[in-house]
Amino acid sequence: MATERTMSTTWRGTLMDGAGTIHEAGSGAFGPLDVSWASRAEAPNGKTSPEELIAAAHSACFSMALSHGLAQAGTPATQLDTSATVTFVPGTGITKVALTVRGSVPGVDEATFVAAAEAAKVGCPVSKALASVPEITLDAALA
Amino acid sequence: MPRIVREAAVSWEGNVARGVGRISATSSGAFTELPYTVATRIGAPEGKTSPEELLAAAHGACFSMSLASELTQAGTPPERLEVRCVVTMDEIEGKGHQIVHSEIEAHGTVPNCDEAGFAQAAEAADAGCPLSALIRASATVAVSATLS
Repeated sequence: MATERTMSTTWRGTLMDGAGTIHEAGSGAFGPLDVSWASRAEAPNGKTSPEELIAAAHSACFSMALSHGLAQAGTPATQLDTSATVTFVPGTGITKVALTVRGSVPGVDEATFVAAAEAAKVGCPVSKALASVPEITLDAALA
Repeated sequence: MPRIVREAAVSWEGNVARGVGRISATSSGAFTELPYTVATRIGAPEGKTSPEELLAAAHGACFSMSLASELTQAGTPPERLEVRCVVTMDEIEGKGHQIVHSEIEAHGTVPNCDEAGFAQAAEAADAGCPLSALIRASATVAVSATLS
């Protein structure tokens, strides 16, 4: 069964001097959110950006996949704390995603956790969608 | 070229079937602790976001900036652009869930620009938008563009 998610953005004016609004999410979970080129390319000043949204999507997808993998192995996680850091070079594109995860997982040793995290990094749908990013790194350890 | 770095963070509690995660925009603080679950990711959203919704937000925002840039470079800066993005995830036999398609629909109010010029700018925006390039490597991206 296919799942669809819809978002809408309004942009007014030129790239450099204009501004955009990401409208309230189709789910109703967030928004509206302001965006601008200055806040994307320089200091965010409280505004999100496509790269931050990608970081949010990737860290969320990775966490869910890792939780699933650990549960399937019979060792469900109590808590996972994940961050994703996305690097964007204008004119080149997104050059790197760095994933960091710390997990509280009863009955699991460090090597097993790292292996489960590596599997989630390869297998989660957002990882697959971002597979052409030149560098995706993972730093995984038990909390 | 400057390197631009943005970070987001997630805390996940519990196993996947009953667990819940919370997503925060760490760099900007623009959103914090948005809850998400497996059931609302795959089924009806029930007020909760998902990785695919965030990806749709990212792609739509990125494309709108690229389109504003292309139109300005063509000498016809836009007054207003409306960009809708629909991301589809599907279960592929033997491969699990995959993001299979991103659909961009752009409408513009662009003084002195005709339909052909707008379509051309949208095509260039798609070629230049870093997210279109990434998504296209593993899924399909379709762009339609019409003047308002």
